[in-house]
Amino acid sequence: MVSLSFIHSSNTLKHSLYSFTPNNKTLKPPKPKTTKIQSLLPYNRKPQLSGETPRVVVITSGKGGVGKTTTTANVGLSLARFGFSVVAIDADVGLRNLDLLLGLENRVNYTVVEVLNGDCRLDQALVRDRRWSKFELLCISKPRSKLSLGFGGKSLVWVVDALKSRQEGPPDFVLIDCPAGIDAGFITAITPANEAVLVTTPDITSLRDADRVTGLLESDGIRDIKMMVNRVRTDMIKGEDMMSVLDVQEMLGLALLGVIPEDSEVIRSTNRGHPLVLNQPPTLAGLAFEQAAWRLVEEDSMSAVLLEEQPKKRGFFSFFGGNLITKRHAKVYGY
Amino acid sequence: MASVWAIQYHFVPLQPSIRIRVTKHGIPSSVVQFTYGNRLNTKRKFLCRAINASMGPSEELPQPTVDQAVKTDNDDAVTKKFHRIINSLPPSVAFLTKRHAGINFAIGFCIAIACFVVAVRVYVWRKAMYSHPGSVADLVRRGQLRSDRRGISRPLNYEDPFNNPLVKVDKGNSTVEICGKVYRLAPVTLTKEEQAIHQKRRSRAYQWKRPTIFLKDGDSIPPDVDPDAVRWIPANHPFATTASDIDENLAQNNVYQKHGVPFRIKAEHEALQKKLEALQNEQKLNKLVIDSSNAKDFERSFKLNSKSWETVEQSNFDNQEANSKPRKPDHAPNSFGSSSSSEKERA
Repeated sequence: MVSLSFIHSSNTLKHSLYSFTPNNKTLKPPKPKTTKIQSLLPYNRKPQLSGETPRVVVITSGKGGVGKTTTTANVGLSLARFGFSVVAIDADVGLRNLDLLLGLENRVNYTVVEVLNGDCRLDQALVRDRRWSKFELLCISKPRSKLSLGFGGKSLVWVVDALKSRQEGPPDFVLIDCPAGIDAGFITAITPANEAVLVTTPDITSLRDADRVTGLLESDGIRDIKMMVNRVRTDMIKGEDMMSVLDVQEMLGLALLGVIPEDSEVIRSTNRGHPLVLNQPPTLAGLAFEQAAWRLVEEDSMSAVLLEEQPKKRGFFSFFGGNLITKRHAKVYGY
Repeated sequence: MASVWAIQYHFVPLQPSIRIRVTKHGIPSSVVQFTYGNRLNTKRKFLCRAINASMGPSEELPQPTVDQAVKTDNDDAVTKKFHRIINSLPPSVAFLTKRHAGINFAIGFCIAIACFVVAVRVYVWRKAMYSHPGSVADLVRRGQLRSDRRGISRPLNYEDPFNNPLVKVDKGNSTVEICGKVYRLAPVTLTKEEQAIHQKRRSRAYQWKRPTIFLKDGDSIPPDVDPDAVRWIPANHPFATTASDIDENLAQNNVYQKHGVPFRIKAEHEALQKKLEALQNEQKLNKLVIDSSNAKDFERSFKLNSKSWETVEQSNFDNQEANSKPRKPDHAPNSFGSSSSSEKERA
């Protein structure tokens, strides 16, 4: 018997969600809840922040190259566009990449190592993005400098604590881009985190590493772990050459934060230093990142995923542009 | 019949046939024949004469030849044939085309305008796509200039990723269209019980304690430390070190500092200042020692080094504040004092 349950948080404000009816295997809109959500933007609704601020989220994976840094950059900028203040920390001591993705590599003068040594203050090491002033970047170290492992984790805790007590107020989100592996860099990055986003791809090697990392995170006391499946190809899923997102979830047993399709625009945006979510019009992957950021804000998770691409049905009036499909809130859907 | 004649009058094809005939004199001339009715033919011939009149008074109008007459007969046959075709058309078409000739012209004009508008829009779109590098719009697009601070550009509009024209859910909620592609939906099947099972499995498989002590290869474990909490760092690790050059308390204070000059900058500044002060003090003393008269005396003493020690003594006695005085008792008065002064002069 197929059953579906939602993962709820006590502080979550939910609006219309979709429930699953086993008979016809479709989703029907439930009765609208009485909770009223105030709209801060004139035409679009702003997501309601849930949980205690600042929310310190570590974005990790175990395996390298699955999209942690891309996720950090895009989700971080999406959060800034929603109106939340974000500080993104690149916790990779030796190999720094987050600044490249954001196009801020020429503006990083000071890092946390300089702050620890007393060469600058913490606010001087923060790089504010000129496109979205609510987004700031902080790098742990420059590529050739070494950081003592003795207080690597402590230093991050001090940094987060200092950010909480800064004059302009604590940031709403602190995103920590974790390095690959499970050694000292990983331990340093997860030290101040309260929740984690596990990025994985639908292949067996990534899944095994992700499972290991999840176990380590739970051992360290981080219980709120959500999963993002990256580089999904629906054509390969249809041809059964790739595991589906549901298979991945069955193997890892984690709630889904987002599903990001394979998109060549990711590589172009990386090379340009212009994150995907800033593209106009938005791409498929960009929309998926934005929706994942929305769920992160509201501590929500997906309840339906996209399986495969289908041929588009053209109605009689499709010649005139648009179609008769109505727009609805698709918050819980895969894309 | 009159109407048929009228139709015929309008539907005679405008196919002027231009033939170039060479007269017996070898002069090419152009003869234009029109297959109109007689009245129009007369008018056109008159025009031809008027045009051909510009050829010159010496040239004569070409006289119709026998060949010309034969061809005229052929043309008449063609015309008659065409008239028969026209007569065979349904009267409504003819009627419509006759009545709506003006509308046809209007329709054609509208189509032309629409094509022109489409061309202009494509041109504008292409121009927007490939804007000149270095333009202000390019700077705004690259993020060097903020668009919200500029009065000329529109502010970036945020679009809800769910309530978005690019995201459309069908009525049955079984498919969703995103960015023009349609996908089939499937519900998530993970339950809380299954999640708990996975957590138990992982807690059994991965036992891990956070390391509190970091040791290099070869170091001994302290006696009161849990071995599980020790982390060994290889000696050749490129980006890791167990040695810290800075005190932990000091590092923490540096992180929490919100105002003022950072610690190291301040320390360096103070050290530089001290050094400068010390140098300045030294220079003052040096200035006091090296007096112009004294310098001359020293020069003399240098020159007269071999001569007498007494003159040197006298000059030194005159200058009571000389720096070299305290050195004198320490060194041999003759040679070293003079050599030291010479070294100073050389310096």
